[in-house]
Amino acid sequence: MKASLLIICAAFALTGCVTQPQKKDFTAFNAAKPRSILVVPIINKSLDVDAPNYMLSTLPVPLAERGYYVFPVNTSKMVLEQEGFYEGEQIAQQSPEALTKLFGADAVLFVTINRWDAQYAFIATTVTVDFDYRMVAKDGTEIWTDKQKLVYSPQQQNSGSPIAMLVAAAINAAIARAVPNYMPLARQANDTALLTGPQPLPAGPYAAVKP
Amino acid sequence: MKLATILVAIATVVLTGCAHNRIYSWGDYDDMLYKQYKDPAQALNMRNQLETHVAALEQNRQKVPPGMYAEIGTLYLQSNDKVKSIAYYKKEQSTWPESRGLMTAMITNISRQTATAAGTK
Repeated sequence: MKASLLIICAAFALTGCVTQPQKKDFTAFNAAKPRSILVVPIINKSLDVDAPNYMLSTLPVPLAERGYYVFPVNTSKMVLEQEGFYEGEQIAQQSPEALTKLFGADAVLFVTINRWDAQYAFIATTVTVDFDYRMVAKDGTEIWTDKQKLVYSPQQQNSGSPIAMLVAAAINAAIARAVPNYMPLARQANDTALLTGPQPLPAGPYAAVKP
Repeated sequence: MKLATILVAIATVVLTGCAHNRIYSWGDYDDMLYKQYKDPAQALNMRNQLETHVAALEQNRQKVPPGMYAEIGTLYLQSNDKVKSIAYYKKEQSTWPESRGLMTAMITNISRQTATAAGTK
């Protein structure tokens, strides 16, 4: 009995943290078959007030490259503002049916920023972004979701004397402290979710390789 | 400073990785959008750059990416050039059937405003 418990424990310890990503169900997506996607202003749960607009700027290119017509994000933002909707939180409370109808879109993409921050330490600064993606068809059905979290801390080049490594790390930290650059991380997160990840968004009607 | 720039460039390459084959030529659209949100004074610059870019695409008979004509139209609208904004919205409309509803609404609204403004003069 004890032996079998030990074996079970060992099995757990050995298999460890290898969690297989859950296989996505694309049935609803394939039924909706969207051609056009409306990207609405971003829901912000981080403390960075600029993050939503910056994030918004990263989404049209990968979505269009996946083969969809993407409504012009800055134009859509202006139209929504004319309707009195300025914040992503406020827009997310509207019915997806009404939003898609307003623009004539097949689907709407809501993105939530959970984290967009830099943690400062003595020689290395860690930059973290964390996003939730949720796409809803014009009939209100949720057709696709994803979650991406990326953490970046400057790599220490292992080349030579300890003092050289320390200097390199200090320079990296100084750069990140002055202007933590979230944009490459945000773009990488989108690329993984939409294009290059293990289960990306299915290809749209304008994709080079037909779905 | 130079070292910093180089390090940032390296980090960018490492993080963004290899570019995959693209359907469209974007002419730094996303970067300009970012800069314009960072500093609204960049809007004019963005409009000029995008206009040059779509003119080059048209010349080479390449397809203009989705939304790009409309974004130029909106930048014109925001600087109160209604004629040019309508011209660009019409281009978006004829290039992308998916945009037809929104573009028609935009054009109708602008025309109506212009008509009202003319009527009150």
